[in-house]
Amino acid sequence: MTSSATKLPRRPSGRRGGVSAPNGWWALAFIAPATIGLLALYVWPFLRTVVDSFQDVPAFGPATWVGTDNYTALLHDPEFWQAFRNSALYTAIVLLGVPIAIALAALIEQVGRGRAIYRVLFFLPVVTLPVAIGMVWRFIYNGDFGLLNTVLSWVGVDGQYWVADPRFTIYAFGVVGIWMGLGINLIILGAGLTAIPKAVYEASALDGAGRVRQFFRITVPLLSPSIFFVTVLSVIGALQMFDLNFIMLRGVNNTALADSKTIVYLFYEKAFVQFHQGYGAAIAVVLLLVIMIATALQFRLQRSWVFYD
Amino acid sequence: MTESTLRRGPRRARRWHLHLILAAAAAFMVVPFAWQLLTVFKSTAEVTRIPPTILPHGWSLHAFETFFDTVPFWSMFAVSAGALVLRVGGQVVVAALAGYAFARIPFRGRGLLHGLFLAMLMVPSQLFLIGQYGLIRDLELLDTLPALAIPGLFSAFGTFLMRQAFLSMPDDYEEAARLDGANPFQVFWHIMLPMARPTVAALAVLTGLYSWNDLLWPLIVSPSGENRPLSVGLAGLQGQFGTDYPTLMAGAFVCSIPLITVFLVLQRQFFAGIAGSGIKG
Amino acid sequence: MKRRWIAATALAAAVTLLSACSGQSDGASGEKVTLTYANWSEDQTPAMQQIADEFQKANPDITIKVQTLPWTEYWTTLQVGAAGGTAPDAFWMLADHFREYAKGGQLVDMSDTVKANNIDLSVYPKAVSDSYTYDGKLFALPKDFDTNGIWYNKALFDAAGVKYPDDTWTWQDAQDAAKKLTDPAKGVFGIAAPIDAQGGFYNTILQAGGSIINADGTASDFGSPAGVEGLKFWTDLQAAKASPTLEQLSDTEAVSMFENQKVAMYFSGAYWALRFHNNAALKGKVDVAPLPQGVKRATVTSGIGNAGYAGSKHPEQLKKFLAFLGGSKAAEIQAATGTVLPAYKGTQQPWLDSMPEYKLQVFIDATDYSVPLPVAGNASEWQGLATQYLGPAWSGKKPVADAAKEYQTAVDQVLAKK
Repeated sequence: MTSSATKLPRRPSGRRGGVSAPNGWWALAFIAPATIGLLALYVWPFLRTVVDSFQDVPAFGPATWVGTDNYTALLHDPEFWQAFRNSALYTAIVLLGVPIAIALAALIEQVGRGRAIYRVLFFLPVVTLPVAIGMVWRFIYNGDFGLLNTVLSWVGVDGQYWVADPRFTIYAFGVVGIWMGLGINLIILGAGLTAIPKAVYEASALDGAGRVRQFFRITVPLLSPSIFFVTVLSVIGALQMFDLNFIMLRGVNNTALADSKTIVYLFYEKAFVQFHQGYGAAIAVVLLLVIMIATALQFRLQRSWVFYD
Repeated sequence: MTESTLRRGPRRARRWHLHLILAAAAAFMVVPFAWQLLTVFKSTAEVTRIPPTILPHGWSLHAFETFFDTVPFWSMFAVSAGALVLRVGGQVVVAALAGYAFARIPFRGRGLLHGLFLAMLMVPSQLFLIGQYGLIRDLELLDTLPALAIPGLFSAFGTFLMRQAFLSMPDDYEEAARLDGANPFQVFWHIMLPMARPTVAALAVLTGLYSWNDLLWPLIVSPSGENRPLSVGLAGLQGQFGTDYPTLMAGAFVCSIPLITVFLVLQRQFFAGIAGSGIKG
Repeated sequence: MKRRWIAATALAAAVTLLSACSGQSDGASGEKVTLTYANWSEDQTPAMQQIADEFQKANPDITIKVQTLPWTEYWTTLQVGAAGGTAPDAFWMLADHFREYAKGGQLVDMSDTVKANNIDLSVYPKAVSDSYTYDGKLFALPKDFDTNGIWYNKALFDAAGVKYPDDTWTWQDAQDAAKKLTDPAKGVFGIAAPIDAQGGFYNTILQAGGSIINADGTASDFGSPAGVEGLKFWTDLQAAKASPTLEQLSDTEAVSMFENQKVAMYFSGAYWALRFHNNAALKGKVDVAPLPQGVKRATVTSGIGNAGYAGSKHPEQLKKFLAFLGGSKAAEIQAATGTVLPAYKGTQQPWLDSMPEYKLQVFIDATDYSVPLPVAGNASEWQGLATQYLGPAWSGKKPVADAAKEYQTAVDQVLAKK
């Protein structure tokens, strides 16, 4: 995201000239509301969580300092590693949505009439209540009378219990994750596509480059900043996945639940169901570290593939 | 549009298979909604039949009746809408102000502070719950409508989006106004913010979305049971009609309609706003 | 930059302090006060409202606000509210969550109230009032109670030509009937055999002569011969395919399967009576019988308790309301509306009369051989382990005895944590 700053060196807006003193006061006035809110409602609760992660915090009553015990226990907790694997797998599946979105964005860019309709259709899941999404998909995935198995039976494929069999749950979530995220990704990528100068395509067409070649030689490189942005957002969002897990598997006695928890779900369960807030906090801190490392890694890697004009 | 007009001639032949692929993908997007709607008109027995029927036999409106009999739709709708308006209005102002400063007013520590904002994006929101609740309680705002909206006023993403919009604007207007003796706030309010209108629309839709979807937070900050939004009504329905799919689907459908409508009305600005925000990188 | 930060933080702190200092009035009796009363069941809300109205009639200065939270959010909301001083004044409590709240000093000690109002504790089933006792003090008056029985679908029994269950049934009768009732062609199963503790394997372990959790709450009993026998009752049904698979029961819970008439028998509690009664599709098709006996008769029993929040701003009025909730009037309203089986002795007849088509007396008779639902230690934590450890036994991937041993070890570890 800092890339956007580096991308615009020719627009030194505000950066020019010496920093005059009154500027500082104006800046404070502009920034103050957002900053106060951020500190009080986000940074402070977050710091409290970090402190909690070094304590044994019962639901009620005083906490006791336990040093790094929570973290040690965490690293030896198979349940945590299972959740870690689940979140990683889910993230990997959701990332498959990025190339799909690139291809669809390029197609939508090429159709003239009907472009708006496609964009709206793809965006519908984004403006639907997550509880509603969870209900509908849970119903579609139902192993006995769900739509998916019905459709599969038409083509002679055996159905599965998609959200009741731990072998499939994460994949089932992943499909819904792609479905939910496609709309946003398409719009960001579409905006990037519009910004690619047409002259570039025309020049390469004169050189005899075909559609497919143009896509890989021009579209993808010139779109790479948007692709990067979408990827970063997708990874962060996927690692924080909770809703689907909560809504689709929390039925009574869902046998798949034990093996299908994501990291945030495990955090929720420890902190709010089993009264172990300190342990929950440690899970949250580790998740944050994972997200930060994943993001930093992507920023490091972008140097080799993201192309800024 | 001009682009496609330009290309229309020689490429028209290919267009139908573009549409074919896109229509297939769009079908995948829409099928869950269609299935939801078809289910609403069926009976429970019909829904749980193996294999299920595709089209309803009776086109019964019973599910809608049950939903409206059970969930106090309009009072919940009012809470959802009120919280949404407060949150969207507040966040647009707060985020635009901060985004403007981050984009156009240099000050020491700007990069660091902006980094802190972005870092908060990486923290899962469940983690803020207890701390935010404590603050709302200490401000004596429990059981008020603003309590539903307040944490959402401060959004790292909103600030970032507005910053990008302001970054991409030319300097000229700002310069001119400044030479006319306008102070930074006047420049911001009268010149820059109006120019960022599409991004404001985009932010409004996205913020509205989060507000509409909030479930646990409204419960926690309304201990007396006031201010129950639609999301709570829908979740309660799930507990009560665990097996009654038509009613559940009717609820899911009805509760999603308002937001979908708002989106359809605002969609042109929304798409322009995302495109104009420069979040393309 | 640094200074700005400090200024901003200071400002935030000042706002917080200022608002925290503005005082709140505490409720001296005589003034008009409002108490909130939280539950998680839309089905029971009308009865709760009726009870509140009745109380307000006698206490015009106290307004009761009944509020219903979705079950999935109930405990989180209560926990955050209680820790932060804003929990509802009165709320429903469950035995497995109770200990953490009592230990943390969140609940109103009912001892004084019991004494002041001459409440005779012997009117409540001992198993239920015991489960709300911590450190020798009672923290909630029992609201209702439930024991288990066999809910069965008469139409499916008739179709298969199987005799209805009755009080002579043994485990073998139940197993035989389940197999006979199963008809794969029609998608009908004899019984629902999910990994269900309260309606399921706890009862069979007890019936096999086992004890679930030992008396001092330090160890579980799942790996003992009786424990394994009790679990086998269910895994045998799964192995015989007389029940929907665990996957099917995860997609559609057992009670829904029963309501959809896909299973002929469902072992569960009295609390479903009203729901079945209100289901038009089940009219005239459902009845209930006692659980079959193994080595002996047994069922677990538990109940919801009405608890008060220790941080309530109106403790006196709250105690008055709690006493009313625990009294015969509130019990009669629950009974007459058919809502649940009230805990208060002698008020159950209206409940029986409200749904005469069912042999509901079964649930009351079962109290004679009932055992309290075990809730030692951090119950919400160890209860969550059941599906994980017993799943392989249910699906036949692991010998029952092995799974039971591992399950016991895991539960014992949690119990040892205190």
